[in-house]
Amino acid sequence: MSGEAARTERPSKIAVGDELPPLELPLTSTVIVAGAIASRDFMPAHHDRDFAQAQGAPDIFMNILTTNGYVSRFVTDWAGSGAMLRNISIRLGAPAVPGQILRFTGQVTDSRREGDEQIVEVAIRAANDFGDHATGTVVVCLPRDGATA
Amino acid sequence: MTDAEADPLLAALEGWLGKPLGAPGLAPDEVNRSMIQHWVDALDDRNPVYLDEEFAATSRFGGIVAPPAMLQTWTMPRPRIEGIAERGGAPGEIGADNPISVLSNAGYTGTLATNSELEFERYLRPGDRLRSATQLESISNRKQTARGLGYFVTWLTTYTDGEGEVVGRQRFRILKFQPAPAGAEA
Repeated sequence: MSGEAARTERPSKIAVGDELPPLELPLTSTVIVAGAIASRDFMPAHHDRDFAQAQGAPDIFMNILTTNGYVSRFVTDWAGSGAMLRNISIRLGAPAVPGQILRFTGQVTDSRREGDEQIVEVAIRAANDFGDHATGTVVVCLPRDGATA
Repeated sequence: MTDAEADPLLAALEGWLGKPLGAPGLAPDEVNRSMIQHWVDALDDRNPVYLDEEFAATSRFGGIVAPPAMLQTWTMPRPRIEGIAERGGAPGEIGADNPISVLSNAGYTGTLATNSELEFERYLRPGDRLRSATQLESISNRKQTARGLGYFVTWLTTYTDGEGEVVGRQRFRILKFQPAPAGAEA
């Protein structure tokens, strides 16, 4: 059971260039299989090492739904529960495999007003020992209030 | 000479552009709290709008919502586990009459996912029952890539709710390539 308190607050001020708190995810077979099955992806490459290796992969690897899920979590862990994602756009690279740390980093690249909302663009990267697993952009909207830059 | 004239395979594949890929899907289940909880635990995503009814009621959503990245999860077909490895991971039998199979049969047997783009029109609430419809959006000219000679194939899946309103979209791109001969460096 996670001991962390859920983040419900958003950053008090958001500005272009802000970096998100990195998320370091030590990947195990359990983490990869749990994500695959929770997303209802039964492709053997995501739970069966023999199958994955016969396909030329080094090990089982994270499925794309799970990668998107972690990208979403990474951004809302920072943006808070008032955030609503509009878009997750990623380019896929190296496989995310057990035994390595998958490290998520991100930086605010744009922030603009749209009615009562602040539309924030975040450039994200998830990398491991092989290199970039996923890079891309997340667009998230946050309610505006006095604290919003 | 156009690209299609120079490349009969591309010309054949372009016949699928804008047409449905496979039959529309109906989610086996409504969006529901049990599957949300399964996902929340698997990804350790503690955003309270996903499970905390009391908190979510005070949020912009007015009640609990599904994690947005679960969009595709809801319409994943129920898998037939027996023989799934032999089918390459396909949850059920798949027909040969689609551009991916045509490319595989033409020697472009390798598949590499390259891009995913998810768009959310709104977050989903328990009780939503989704439908999905997929169409082929684009096929690139044949390109020499690091993996081998191949085509980038892009399809767009549109998700609608019970009222037929679009709730989200996913654009997905793969490279179908001719794997390098055994023993050759990739």
